[in-house]
Amino acid sequence: MTRPTFAAISSVLADQFKVDAEKLEPGSTLEQLGLDSLALMEFVFAVEDRFDVRLPEDRLDPRQAGITLEHLASLIDEAVAAKPGSDAAVA
Amino acid sequence: MPPSRSADRGSPVAVTGAGVVSPIGNTLADFDAALFAGRSAVRARALDLPGIDLPPVPVASADFDTAAEVAPSRVPLDRATAMALAAARDAARAASLADGAYDPERLGIFWGSGMAGAATFEATCRTVYADRRRMRPTSVVTTMPNAPVAEIALLFGARGAALAYACACASSAVAIGEAMRAIRAGWIDVAIAGGSEALLMPGVLASWQAMRVLVPLGASASDAAAVAACCRPFAAERNGFALGEAAAAFVLESRAHAAARGARVEASLAGYATNCDGVHITQPDASGQARAMTAALADAGLAPSDIGYLNAHGTATTAGDAAEAESIARVFGAGGVPVSSSKAIHGHLLGAGGAVELLAALRALQAASLPPTANTVAADPGFALDLVLGEARASEGLRAVMSSSFAFGGTNAVLIATA
Repeated sequence: MTRPTFAAISSVLADQFKVDAEKLEPGSTLEQLGLDSLALMEFVFAVEDRFDVRLPEDRLDPRQAGITLEHLASLIDEAVAAKPGSDAAVA
Repeated sequence: MPPSRSADRGSPVAVTGAGVVSPIGNTLADFDAALFAGRSAVRARALDLPGIDLPPVPVASADFDTAAEVAPSRVPLDRATAMALAAARDAARAASLADGAYDPERLGIFWGSGMAGAATFEATCRTVYADRRRMRPTSVVTTMPNAPVAEIALLFGARGAALAYACACASSAVAIGEAMRAIRAGWIDVAIAGGSEALLMPGVLASWQAMRVLVPLGASASDAAAVAACCRPFAAERNGFALGEAAAAFVLESRAHAAARGARVEASLAGYATNCDGVHITQPDASGQARAMTAALADAGLAPSDIGYLNAHGTATTAGDAAEAESIARVFGAGGVPVSSSKAIHGHLLGAGGAVELLAALRALQAASLPPTANTVAADPGFALDLVLGEARASEGLRAVMSSSFAFGGTNAVLIATA
């Protein structure tokens, strides 16, 4: 997980989903942030758009609310690195 | 002459609070100031439709920030739903309808909107077809026509009913009337009822322009004063309306419920009727309108002469105003009731029109003052109307007011309020 990725995810949660900034720790699960399944899907969608990636459903089912922000950030880093022409330093 | 009492008369329902978001103000004080001064909020707007050259249209927009409103469901909000939440919250606050002041199972939400969610749907289509981006996962719940009623129900934890009414320009008048019926019948004790509409999107505006019911602005589009004065209800030179956006909400409750919780009763809803012309998809029918007004009077147990003010549908279209002038004269007699149309200043609010115009009639009742029909200098000489023109008219002892809504599709809805 890179810090910029975590920071970008955190800003989406704070701005768009009005999540209390104090709750935004790498170990926080999406469930703990109070997002229901619908909000989770919208959140993953927003994050994908932010990084211009698609998180494969077999790696991340947004209905599984138990994953941590750290895990999500790592998945994004992997997806960004896998993008054609990526220098793996985008964030 | 004492009011004639009809056997059909229903019991009055208490109005204990109101809230509004509108082109002429988002507080009752601002709303009143513009209403009684006849101050128009109509402006010209260019149509942002790439590759299609269309002239600007007259619109009346509300000073309202959709993004500042947070959905109880936390999904993105359509502008009409955001406005609905703001108006409902203000109405509840005015009525002191806090948690514990009602039984959630006896609270119902009744909401009218012609095309709730359509603005977001149009934006969503743009995203897909023009921007080549994906549909959002919450597109369905943001754009569904019952989104406003659903979000309001979540905000108040309402468990009695959550019903959405879509009958074009009569939508919110029907919602309020049906809430009144539900309270009278004892199905619920309290209702939050009203309507919202926010459709000032290029595609929607172009649709109304294509129908030739919006005032053609022509060369005067750059003249702000001329645009503000472009809608002239019941004038001989009338040539259409401006589209507006708004929400208005009322807390309605049985008199017993209001009394039991010590709520201040602002006014009473005394009569309601709805029917259908059943003759044409858009052409108004004076006989259908007259039947609706007569039925509402019977429901209130009032005679035509008891009504001291009528906030007319008054769209300022050639055919619409002619039919309505005829139906009013049939029910009330020539010049039998003071009439005005507030659409001249806030535009045609479509599904929200009935609620906002009921609010205008209630404000008239409480102020004992009749708002003028702005912009209109003289009534069409062919109309036998007592049109309130120029300045607001004092009306001492005003006891009963009527608001009428006549919709595309033929639905007519008439509400009567008493002091």
